[in-house]
Amino acid sequence: MTESDVETTDGTRSTEGVGRDAAGLSETGSDLAVHLDGITKRFPGVVANDDVDLRVERGTVHALLGENGAGKTTLMNVLYGLYEPEAGRVVVDGEERAFDSPRDAIDAGIGMIHQHFMLVDPMTIAENIALGNEPTKWFGMAIDRDRIRSEIRDLCDRYGFNVDPNAVVEDASVGVQQRVEILKALFRGADVLILDEPTAVLTPQEVEGLYDVLEELTDQGKTIIFITHKLEEATHAADAITVLRDGESVGTVDPGQTNREALAERMVGREVILEAESEPVETGEAVLSTRDVTVEDARGIEAVSGIDLDVHAGEVLGIAGVDGNGQSELIEAITGLRTPDEGTITYDGTDITAWSRRRRIENGMAYIPEDRQENGLVMPFDLVENGLLGSQRSPQFAAGGRIDWDGVRDHTEDIIETYDVRPPDANAAAQSFSGGNQQKFIVGREFERDPSLVVATHPTRGVDIGSTEFIHDRLLELRREGVAVLLVSSNLDEIRSLSDRLAVIYEGEFIDVTDPDDITEEDLGLRMAGQRPDEETHDGPDTGESQ
Amino acid sequence: MSNRFESLLERLAGLSVLDRIVISLAALLAAVLVGGVLVFVSGAFASCRSGLQLGGTTFCYNPMQVYYELFLGALGHPLEGGWSLTNYSLGRTLQQTTLLIFAGLSVAVAFRAGLLNIGTQGQLVVGGLATAVTVVYAASIVPGGFVGTVVLIPLGVLAGAVGGGLYGAIPGALKAYADANEVITTIMLNIIAAGITSTLLSWQFQDPDSSNPETRPVPEYAEIPNIPVIGFEEVNFSLLALAFAVVLMIGMAWLLARTSFGYELRTSGEQPGAAAYGGVDEKRMTVASMTLSGALGGIGGAFWVLMVHGQWLENVPSLGFDGIAVSVLAGNSPIGVGAAAFLFGVFQSGSQSISTATSVPKELVGVLTGLIILFVAMPEFFRLIGRRYVAPGTTEPVRTDGGDPAVDDGGDGDA
Repeated sequence: MTESDVETTDGTRSTEGVGRDAAGLSETGSDLAVHLDGITKRFPGVVANDDVDLRVERGTVHALLGENGAGKTTLMNVLYGLYEPEAGRVVVDGEERAFDSPRDAIDAGIGMIHQHFMLVDPMTIAENIALGNEPTKWFGMAIDRDRIRSEIRDLCDRYGFNVDPNAVVEDASVGVQQRVEILKALFRGADVLILDEPTAVLTPQEVEGLYDVLEELTDQGKTIIFITHKLEEATHAADAITVLRDGESVGTVDPGQTNREALAERMVGREVILEAESEPVETGEAVLSTRDVTVEDARGIEAVSGIDLDVHAGEVLGIAGVDGNGQSELIEAITGLRTPDEGTITYDGTDITAWSRRRRIENGMAYIPEDRQENGLVMPFDLVENGLLGSQRSPQFAAGGRIDWDGVRDHTEDIIETYDVRPPDANAAAQSFSGGNQQKFIVGREFERDPSLVVATHPTRGVDIGSTEFIHDRLLELRREGVAVLLVSSNLDEIRSLSDRLAVIYEGEFIDVTDPDDITEEDLGLRMAGQRPDEETHDGPDTGESQ
Repeated sequence: MSNRFESLLERLAGLSVLDRIVISLAALLAAVLVGGVLVFVSGAFASCRSGLQLGGTTFCYNPMQVYYELFLGALGHPLEGGWSLTNYSLGRTLQQTTLLIFAGLSVAVAFRAGLLNIGTQGQLVVGGLATAVTVVYAASIVPGGFVGTVVLIPLGVLAGAVGGGLYGAIPGALKAYADANEVITTIMLNIIAAGITSTLLSWQFQDPDSSNPETRPVPEYAEIPNIPVIGFEEVNFSLLALAFAVVLMIGMAWLLARTSFGYELRTSGEQPGAAAYGGVDEKRMTVASMTLSGALGGIGGAFWVLMVHGQWLENVPSLGFDGIAVSVLAGNSPIGVGAAAFLFGVFQSGSQSISTATSVPKELVGVLTGLIILFVAMPEFFRLIGRRYVAPGTTEPVRTDGGDPAVDDGGDGDA
């Protein structure tokens, strides 16, 4: 960046900047807010960061792009004082630093916004922002609330945030909560903001809002480092992108001079097909059918109202819809976690409405649950024990009620290898893996059950693109083998490219069932918002035949 | 401050078995030191003829002697002359160990299933009565002598297990089908057990030849014999019973680690949502684990009847409640229960030695043993809390991307 950018920060810092340039720490002559030089961080058995360089220029948005487990967060935790690197230098504002704790990093002007917010829900936004740094009056006897309020107002004015400091956090939307986190960091005097996967929890509109915020912040001289595994975000929001792969930096690129395919290749280390190709497959008999299924949710409100669906062998039926329109309840009724209040569920020609969950598993129903940490994994168990979940009574692993742990271990290690679960440690507790790797493991376990029906809810949520591609390929491979697939996803690209037929659910009913190629994204959005199709476009909510 | 506490929890949660043993030993030492000072200072307020004169004050109690009696007295003073393996004190220690293994296992199994069974006491009381009544009545049909021993003892133990198991199934069913908290129901059922057994006793089973509230004694051949090889003549303890307890202990460890049932039980205890997903019928598992827990308590009652007294007495010692402490101290691990039960056995028997050998009051001895339990159990207690509320974090070596381990990577916001 140019000298004019330095001017936008406050006076003291720009003089520091001059001194630093004189000292020759910034060889390129540009103004580096953060310079990580040859950072190496090892954990027993793995090198999380291997001689990584990162140069972040002041007043820019710098994306740190990489797959799950590439070492992005580790690198930022080094910068934020959470980890001590084995080798390398951390240079902030031209000064070499050794942070013992986040407190030191905050004092040096670094703020980190974690993926999951660290806010006290019942307290007001102002209280949360000031928490731990309250200005006091009367010789430290009381908190100076007026000053907190005026400082927050100043910050909001300066960066164009529309936040009511007196609102209670738990009433605020996720997007606002994220802004509160950013304000908290700014309140503590942060000049460099680290955002860890900031878009993961946001709606598309909120993501746009975040981009605006980032622009405003950098305009005012703040520096942003933002961690992501999504290509669109990196190319859209960043001024520079550093790609990490397997703990190593594979270069920094200008987003204007690259494209998604090239970035993906750099990130994964091989060519990646971003859109899964689903070629037509001969469909067979209906494997799963529901007739007039009605389900009430926990509060006794009708969540699913008389749904009829058929999923045939060799077919992917996608269910699109805004979360909370009955998808979860429908899926739970099908998989046996919830009893439908009315209607019948037929599986392989047998009425299974009254079957237990176990019986459904035993008969070849695989299920990738929506909430992997609540249902899909036993968090304190290691992966070997988790590899058994659902098969604990199967003759393959537990003939006569005695578990064959050696067999389970072999099976688990196969899943870890095939589905690229990182780190490949079968003895590690499930809770020590990142979300994407947890998901890969669950997907692997369910796909390798030799199923005749796969019920997959958000199968690639939080998963990096390399593994997403693999999961999609494997899903289509199962479909080719004649497996019926019921897919629920809020990712429209995913559901459109994988589904043979697409059902749109709204308030517990199917609004439309269509061929995904015959509907535009706009129309799909309208259906998801509850608009029924015109008479001439498509057939009604009945799903008798495919294609 | 809270950060430091949290990182401490994290470190505790990630400890290895060896770390935990070292910590337990260090805690034991610390408790002995603190308790020693306490005893020594207390001695200044007691009156005695001889004691340590220090600055005009007489310190009556010698902490070294107190701990010597507590630990070595419980084993019958093995370092002194004339020690025999079958002495009274060691016999009493092992007798208590045996009974506490059953009670401890009962609590531990429920705990592993995520259920806090405070009702082991009641299950033990009911099981004990079932044993006594069954054996007394069966003895009139079954021939005596060796045949009687072989038939009546297993029958009695079985009766105890069934009685305790059924009594444990009640709070299990209440929890599963009426959503009644098992802590409350088991506490209430303890009181109900005392009432019912007392009523049954006066109604039908009271020994007509005795003025004490107790059942008729079982025939001598139906008591668990003091064979083989070494007989503890002075105390009602049988190595055979201890061996059975140890086998049961190993059996429980095996059940939890290696069987489908044990896996489902542990999964239900750790994460009910995942258990339901994995095809475990949660309600049935709740009833089954409470039944198993109750059966183990009932077996404890059976051994109390058949080994210690030869009859059921209304005044049942608080073995079931001690079982809770044993299980917590053992970190709810079946094998750990053996060690913890032995420590409690030592305390029971050592306390008696202290009161015979010194003038230290019984209450002060209670303080000493309490301190030891507190010190040894605390790290384990916080480790359990740590495991529940913080994921083994920054000290855990397995993460490469260093992300907050217990949270999600989130969904695709770009849908």
